[in-house]
Amino acid sequence: MTDPESPDISGAYDWSWYWRGMRNVFSLPALILISAFVGFGGLAREAGIPLLELIFMVPAIWALPSHLIVVAGILTDAPLLAVVAAVALAAIRMMPMTMALIPEIRAPKSKTWHLLLVCNMVAITAWVHTLQKAPEIPRRGRLPYFAGFASILMCATTLVASIVHQLAAGFPAIIMGGLYFLTPLYFAASIWNTSRVRAEHLALILGFSFGPVFGYLIPQAGILMAGLVGGLSAFGFHFLTRKWGNAE
Amino acid sequence: MSYGAYDTWWWPFLFILLAGVIPTTIWRWAGVILVGNLDEDSQWMVLIRCVATALVAAVIAQFIFSPSGALAEFPFELRLSAAFAGFFTFLAFSRRLFVCILVGEAVLLLGQLLLFS
Repeated sequence: MTDPESPDISGAYDWSWYWRGMRNVFSLPALILISAFVGFGGLAREAGIPLLELIFMVPAIWALPSHLIVVAGILTDAPLLAVVAAVALAAIRMMPMTMALIPEIRAPKSKTWHLLLVCNMVAITAWVHTLQKAPEIPRRGRLPYFAGFASILMCATTLVASIVHQLAAGFPAIIMGGLYFLTPLYFAASIWNTSRVRAEHLALILGFSFGPVFGYLIPQAGILMAGLVGGLSAFGFHFLTRKWGNAE
Repeated sequence: MSYGAYDTWWWPFLFILLAGVIPTTIWRWAGVILVGNLDEDSQWMVLIRCVATALVAAVIAQFIFSPSGALAEFPFELRLSAAFAGFFTFLAFSRRLFVCILVGEAVLLLGQLLLFS
């Protein structure tokens, strides 16, 4: 991986792709994520969270389900350890998401600390968008592209959430609900388009179907169990069809 | 120890760091460490992508089946029909994102205005 002849890392990445990533702030996925943070800004105001804490929280946590749990924890003045446990459980998905992204965006000269730094920006929107775009981007441009897109998203969502937080009046419920609904529609369609093997389509269907079932059976870990069982079943399907395919 | 436990300027930030930032991002670091130099074409990657996809799909299901906030004010039947309408139109025609979003939102908002208000 590392080349002892060239200790400087200036050549590891093509940073012109950072700007191309940033330009996507005017894309549909970016607008959808920004809309979701309109809702979050309103929620944070209703919860009485001061502006500076909101500005810190949005990019530092950078995962909407975790944001929502922390705000709920603040509202109910829940014990720190209870919030930690709930957030940690909800954020486990970050691990397979990061594992799926890293081999795609790694450049030949990438060092582990580069990846540890940039992985803090992994969240669904930039993740699915970069997975989709990666094949069209040269190796050295992929990590900068991801970092550029994710960092402009962080800035834009923090700005929008802050503005909504400072507004005197809230939006009508039907508009807020409509904005929230953009997120599941966008996630479903974009993940379907990003899938490369049929097993990933199956994983999407199974994860969606098992979600409410496990959510009912084990409320604390419904998403985790649905993801594990759905994902493993989809992989089992992939493994078996490949085996049978090879046997012919 | 809760958010309101200490009356200093820095405690809320430390609380957010300990309760929100670290338990989220620790999984990203674990992902970087665990994936190591795994090849993107390996069968392990298919497994990882399947689990990641199913986990995100379960998050999507939560928006429909047990949402929080403003979306909870729409009836469940309407959320489910709107999501299916958007997604199946998307599958049937063109696979374009905006088709899914346009149809899904139209069913949700028109349904709410015409049937439930």
